[in-house]
Amino acid sequence: MGPVKEAHTTQPNGGAPKARPRLNAILDWLALVPFFLFALMFLVLPSISIFFRSFEAVDGSFTFENIIAIFTVRDFVNAYKSSLSISLITAIGGAVFGFLLAYAVVLGGLPRALRTFMVTFSGVASNFAGVPLAFAFIATMGNAGLVTRWIEGITGVDIHAQGFSIYTITGLSIVYMYFQFPLMVLIMAPALDGLRREWREACENLGGTSWHYWRYVAFPILLPSLLGTTILLFGNAFGAYATAYAFSGSFINLVPILIGAQMQGDVLFNPGLGNALALGMIIIMGVSMLGYISMQRRAARWTR
Amino acid sequence: MSSVKRSTENVTRRDFLKVSAVAGASALLAACAPGAAEPAANMPDLTSGNAIPLDDLIAAAKTEGQLTTIALPHDWANYGEIIETFKTKYGLTVNELNPDAGSADELAAIEANKDSKGPQAPDVIDVGVGHTANAMAKGLVAKYKVATWDSIEMKDPDGYWWAEYYGALAFEVSKPAIENSPQDWEDLLKPEYKGKVAMAGDVLKSNQSVMTVYAAGLSRAGGDKTKAAEMGLQFWKEVNDAGNFIPVIADQGKIAQGETPLVIEWDYLALANRDSLAGNPEIEIVVPKTGVIAGPYAGGISAYAPHPYAARLWWEFVMSDEGQLLYLKGYAHPIRFNDMAKRGVIPADLAAKLPPAESYANATFLTVEELQAATTYITENWRSVVFGE
Repeated sequence: MGPVKEAHTTQPNGGAPKARPRLNAILDWLALVPFFLFALMFLVLPSISIFFRSFEAVDGSFTFENIIAIFTVRDFVNAYKSSLSISLITAIGGAVFGFLLAYAVVLGGLPRALRTFMVTFSGVASNFAGVPLAFAFIATMGNAGLVTRWIEGITGVDIHAQGFSIYTITGLSIVYMYFQFPLMVLIMAPALDGLRREWREACENLGGTSWHYWRYVAFPILLPSLLGTTILLFGNAFGAYATAYAFSGSFINLVPILIGAQMQGDVLFNPGLGNALALGMIIIMGVSMLGYISMQRRAARWTR
Repeated sequence: MSSVKRSTENVTRRDFLKVSAVAGASALLAACAPGAAEPAANMPDLTSGNAIPLDDLIAAAKTEGQLTTIALPHDWANYGEIIETFKTKYGLTVNELNPDAGSADELAAIEANKDSKGPQAPDVIDVGVGHTANAMAKGLVAKYKVATWDSIEMKDPDGYWWAEYYGALAFEVSKPAIENSPQDWEDLLKPEYKGKVAMAGDVLKSNQSVMTVYAAGLSRAGGDKTKAAEMGLQFWKEVNDAGNFIPVIADQGKIAQGETPLVIEWDYLALANRDSLAGNPEIEIVVPKTGVIAGPYAGGISAYAPHPYAARLWWEFVMSDEGQLLYLKGYAHPIRFNDMAKRGVIPADLAAKLPPAESYANATFLTVEELQAATTYITENWRSVVFGE
């Protein structure tokens, strides 16, 4: 949502008073101290600790076994594959669906009240995760779920007897979508607000069609926000643990679930391996962030 | 994260299932350590480990006046009543340390208080059997054979630990949803249980579920322990392929809601669920005909116990018929169950609340090594065999 507005609103500040620049700069940095402290304690230090502990065997000695295991043990490779696919699918799915929904309520000419309702709902739904969300889906779409029984009552068909099950990667994707698309709506709605009517009118005055407007005006403006939100949704799904665990335990093979089993289970106990698995996730997130930054740069080049 | 664990695995709070997790580490330690240490040398009359005549023991314990316990929640296996009865019967005070501690914490508490006779040093412990190897390797436990030693079915031959109670895996059947309760493991493959069979834990995280796999295999292998793990995975593959298995962790909420009408769980947890659900839904507990697997807990005396006589008196009480029946009241099967059933000392009203005694007659106990080997095999092959991944 940022860059568009910033491009316009920050320009007047170019001539801001330059009194006491040094003190201002110090104060600016000082205000950032809590943030950096927070990032240090909850992001940097844990990451460093994860890195080093990835090379720790159960007895505390140094080993490469954990790292090797990630690439060789079939369960681990599969877990990364399914974690990546569920995150990609729900991030892209959530982005497309959420964008269309946000477009409909912001620019679609629907009643104002609907927009308010949608934004409020999204605010709640995007934070509805974990045990309650998992149970909600089980209670509605599970074997004895409300919707399941309702369909059976109306059509006489027991969808579970027909082979349907929500305890699959597809089922879990549906659950994730429930918090994915509202987040997209929440972030895209203000960005769409930033599209000014005048731009469209200008485009039309110059003889542009709707395609031209979207291709050359609206889409480039929205692209940085779209990319940013999609990567956020990806991370949101990639790191989700509580929802997946409450939903189907380790019966669905995901990386965070495997980490949990190594760290706090009653059966397996190899924190080093858990850390190595986490390191893999950090690297994947790091690479996708780098990809995002470079795409963002290109997408936002016109703003400079 | 912790809320997840709590809600889905609250039963593991006292590490009933921690058995095999530490079994690996402890077996290793056992192999490296130079054998178990002798109990504290300044108590010569305690070193033989033989049962002390009860009157002498009571007199000695009274001079100590106190017992320090650890990790005994009052709502677990009826420990509340057991402690209360012990107190009034012998006029001792009981200092209860951290009731919610896990097995590893109990051993750590002994180790940390080796040189202290203060109130933080536990006299007696109650740990998952897998932890006993670790306790012995580190020399944290003293040997003692209670008067009822011979009828204890699972114990260390030298008396460093003994099982006090166990649970057996049982089918917890919701009555309106399931008309015919399954009677044995193979029944779970029947088409009538399509989409109905669930485990109460997660194979990678809870020993209960590992044992659920193992027990089914034990039934299929006709009791051959060497084939049980492999055949158990094969069995669950078939349950899954038949569409009978619901891959969700069953808990009281899901049982009440009807999502998991047929759950495999330790019997005492299932029986406790039956009581708290109070008929909504009606729960029937069936112990399978074959493949009855026991999950035992082990007792021991700290080698550094500040009150060694009170500690021994505690075990004499707990392992007596009276103490053992108190476990049964909390639905935990006392280790001397078969002996007491044979002698007819189990009150009829107590027995009526439990599945029939014959069901437990051939319960299988695993050694620490067997448990460890089975756990490794099952957790490593679970996904590839059962889900074909």
